[in-house]
Amino acid sequence: MRYILIAVMFLLSLILPGTVFHFWAWSGIKPDLLMLLTIYMAMHHRLPSSVLWGLGAGLLEDLYLGRYIGMYTLTLAVVAVLSYWLAERWYRDNFLLTTFMVFIVTMVGQVVVAFLSLGAGLYWSVGDIGQLVIGVALYNAILVPVTYPLIHRSFLHGWLRYRPRYER
Amino acid sequence: MVGKRVNVTGIAVLVFFLLLGVLISIRLTGLGSNFPNPIGGVLQRVLSPLEESILRLGNGIRDNTKVVWNFREVQIQNEALRKQVEQLTGDNLKLKEQILAGIRYTELDQGQFRSPSLDKFAKIGASVINRNPITWYRTLTLNRGSQDGVTANDPVIGALGLVGKIVSVSTTTSEVLMILDGEGQVSALVRGSTGEGTFGIVQGTYTRGSRLTSEGNLQMLFHREDNVNVGDLVFTSGIGGVYPKDVPIGKVREIQLDPSGLLKTAYIDPLVDFDSLEEAYIVKPMEGK
Repeated sequence: MRYILIAVMFLLSLILPGTVFHFWAWSGIKPDLLMLLTIYMAMHHRLPSSVLWGLGAGLLEDLYLGRYIGMYTLTLAVVAVLSYWLAERWYRDNFLLTTFMVFIVTMVGQVVVAFLSLGAGLYWSVGDIGQLVIGVALYNAILVPVTYPLIHRSFLHGWLRYRPRYER
Repeated sequence: MVGKRVNVTGIAVLVFFLLLGVLISIRLTGLGSNFPNPIGGVLQRVLSPLEESILRLGNGIRDNTKVVWNFREVQIQNEALRKQVEQLTGDNLKLKEQILAGIRYTELDQGQFRSPSLDKFAKIGASVINRNPITWYRTLTLNRGSQDGVTANDPVIGALGLVGKIVSVSTTTSEVLMILDGEGQVSALVRGSTGEGTFGIVQGTYTRGSRLTSEGNLQMLFHREDNVNVGDLVFTSGIGGVYPKDVPIGKVREIQLDPSGLLKTAYIDPLVDFDSLEEAYIVKPMEGK
């Protein structure tokens, strides 16, 4: 059940930004749901699993978009590592702290996307990149109070429950 | 207890080659590249009906509640239009000069433009099933793919004018890079009120300064002495091989002189309303022509 639910969440994260959030975009800015989900996954898994989920989610997004293969694979792997690292140091039951963490990690993730895009030969001004990075990070952070309590509870006690091998 | 020894050089080399590999992969699979992507094709095939339904439902809700949400906007627009009508009514002389442009607009107002050069092409009708899946690009996903004969770089038009070009194709879907995006450039021709043409390149400003505004995101550069005026119509020139000739793009809204005084920038309002676009045509050259 856990894996079916995760698969559904990944697929919804691919579909919703281009459909539902098209109507809820603020000046063209939409949340990066797959990045948000990767952060949540990394916060509730061990490091190797987190990186694998990040790589898998990123590759899925790259293949779904059908261009710049590797851009999101690398970005979400970095996001997973950073999320795991921060979740180890910050109290993950504190929703306010998690909101701030999502803001920071999304910002870093979007900076990586921008950096790789520049590496791919795209031309964006620093102002544009700044607006987009902060905008997407803010939107993701705003979604935390709506989504995180449910997902966190599910990871601890519900269908998404995950116990590392050494705890079993 | 003996801790594991970490080989820093090994990790650095691994990270370097990983980065290099990713950058090469990104370069090889960029916009418009045709590479085999069976998993992406399957994903698109499975998810596109769902995306289409969600978008159609959203469009329905938005269209049926537009009056409620946009009441103030419609009111302001109405007042502005009334003023414009009064101004135009008293401006007969200018109106005479703009007869040619007026005729073209009448055609456009009827909802479908006719371009003789477009008759040489086959058109594949398509519905929009997804919009800008990520914030960084202005793209649309259409419900037609390689099995319908769609290939990368095919031009896409709406009922009123140019939309963009195909940048990636799966079996059942294709992705359109809109002309609003700075990565898409169109060779264009500005026709003044007397019908003479000035060539230039139309570029989206989505990645240049005003990327977050939804209006007026096209621009063109001209020499100072070029005869380009506010209200002139912009068409595709047919040069460059991607877009057919004489497809309407937009109308010049504003002209600003460059600080150097040598160039001027024309800001163009697109004719297509990209936010509410639901149907489009993918243009294919017909065999034997």
